[in-house]
Amino acid sequence: MQIMHTTDITLTINEQTHTLAVKPNDTLLEVVRDYLDLTGSKEGCGEGVCGSCTVLLDGHPVRACLTLALEADGSDVTTVEGLADGDTLSVLQQSFIDHGAVQCGFCTPGMLMSARALLNDNPSPDREAVRKSLSGNICRCTGYAKIVDAVEHAARPESGCPDCHNGETGGDHD
Amino acid sequence: MRLPQFTYHSPDTLEGVLALLDEHRDQAGVLAGGTDLLVRMKHRLAAPKVLVSLKHLDTLSYIKETSGMVSIGAKTPIIDVIQSDRVRQQAPALVEACERIGAVSIQHYRGTIGGNILQDNRCIHYNQSQFHRSGRQPCHKDGGKICYARDEADRCNSTCQSDGATALMALDAHLVLNSIRGERRVALDAFYSTDGIHPFDMQPDELLTRIDVPVVPEAVSAYARLSYRSAIDYPIVCAGVRLVPDPDDAGCIGSARIVVGAMGRSPLFLSKVSQSLTGIRFDNSTAFEQAGKDAMNAAAAFAAHNAGAALTYRQAMVEKMVGRVLSKAAAQVSIRKER
Repeated sequence: MQIMHTTDITLTINEQTHTLAVKPNDTLLEVVRDYLDLTGSKEGCGEGVCGSCTVLLDGHPVRACLTLALEADGSDVTTVEGLADGDTLSVLQQSFIDHGAVQCGFCTPGMLMSARALLNDNPSPDREAVRKSLSGNICRCTGYAKIVDAVEHAARPESGCPDCHNGETGGDHD
Repeated sequence: MRLPQFTYHSPDTLEGVLALLDEHRDQAGVLAGGTDLLVRMKHRLAAPKVLVSLKHLDTLSYIKETSGMVSIGAKTPIIDVIQSDRVRQQAPALVEACERIGAVSIQHYRGTIGGNILQDNRCIHYNQSQFHRSGRQPCHKDGGKICYARDEADRCNSTCQSDGATALMALDAHLVLNSIRGERRVALDAFYSTDGIHPFDMQPDELLTRIDVPVVPEAVSAYARLSYRSAIDYPIVCAGVRLVPDPDDAGCIGSARIVVGAMGRSPLFLSKVSQSLTGIRFDNSTAFEQAGKDAMNAAAAFAAHNAGAALTYRQAMVEKMVGRVLSKAAAQVSIRKER
């Protein structure tokens, strides 16, 4: 397949299927932000260092700024907008608010997606596992402690997160 | 930050990829995970007119053991190497190195082991935005005649900061390269040119397809690196080692391979320092300390001031890193004995 100008790709984003005409040099981040107006995912550095553009591609966290839209053709993408159920925030999102893990908020979408990916793989992570999974996401405000607290809390049984602790269920929603 | 324009190909077969590389040669870029190439394209350090994606080449993603070799497909995601029991058992240094690459969101899906070996050499003066570089004369790697890393240098002194390549060179890995002309196999320590601009001895029509790591019974290996942050950052000094026990006396080192990374245009296999460990007992920490000092002396001259830390500090840390990997590898021998 040779693509010089635009071509149609199919992406399932937050459980909605979209057919989009994209250029070869469009990144996944540009598609979700500029084409679909899902502006939750942020462009920080644009070169894979800060992690604020992290989305889940087929369940795995990736840097959307370093993923070509064409490479994601046919994939299942979850952005931060896909975490909440309508107006009801997910347990993980609510935990961020409750623990004061959000200050300026720019890194928060990426932090949430990295944390979501961790909890999908490991419903009962220890603090070290949380720190490691968030190590690719930079926050210049909070000093990280409250973010790690928030993820740890979301993973506890009393948080009521249906995808955490028991490992029996898994999905894109908390 | 927009990517420059290019034509995108995603062939279904290896032959299709090789034909495109032969057709477009210098104009082509190979896209596996993209975590190195796309950043350089955004910085306008690389501008391939044609991108050949390996998206459909799942046949290049595998880890298998055959006839005394662990073979790893070049497109194998880094997370698969980390999670492989076979690699952990036969080549623990490679797992340790892969665990330190980038961050989870780079390792899990996008980054590949082949891409890590073939990541371009880096320099703090070169790997900058187009705007940053526009304010001064271009360096050797950027098409000019100046080196900002070493005064009056007549050539590029960019540094190979690959974790994977350092560990794999210690493990005596070989690479398999394919082109329409056929297949060739090359030892990793013979794969590098002495040119920082084009660091690999590789033709534009060649594709790295496989990495072979020899399985040496009873061998132990370890990797260590120094970087400012535990994630995202590239190493400012790293070291890998493989120690093979003497077949006649399992308490002694029969042969050693010490490799220092992020200190030169390629990982540095220190053959003389390695040979000096032959016949040394695994519990001889004094000899390991001396090997660290010798490694520092051997590696110091290759490094330039281009990795974000004072050169003298990086040189001094070679001693610590080599001492550390030797102790870590030797400790595996004593753990094995206890079992």
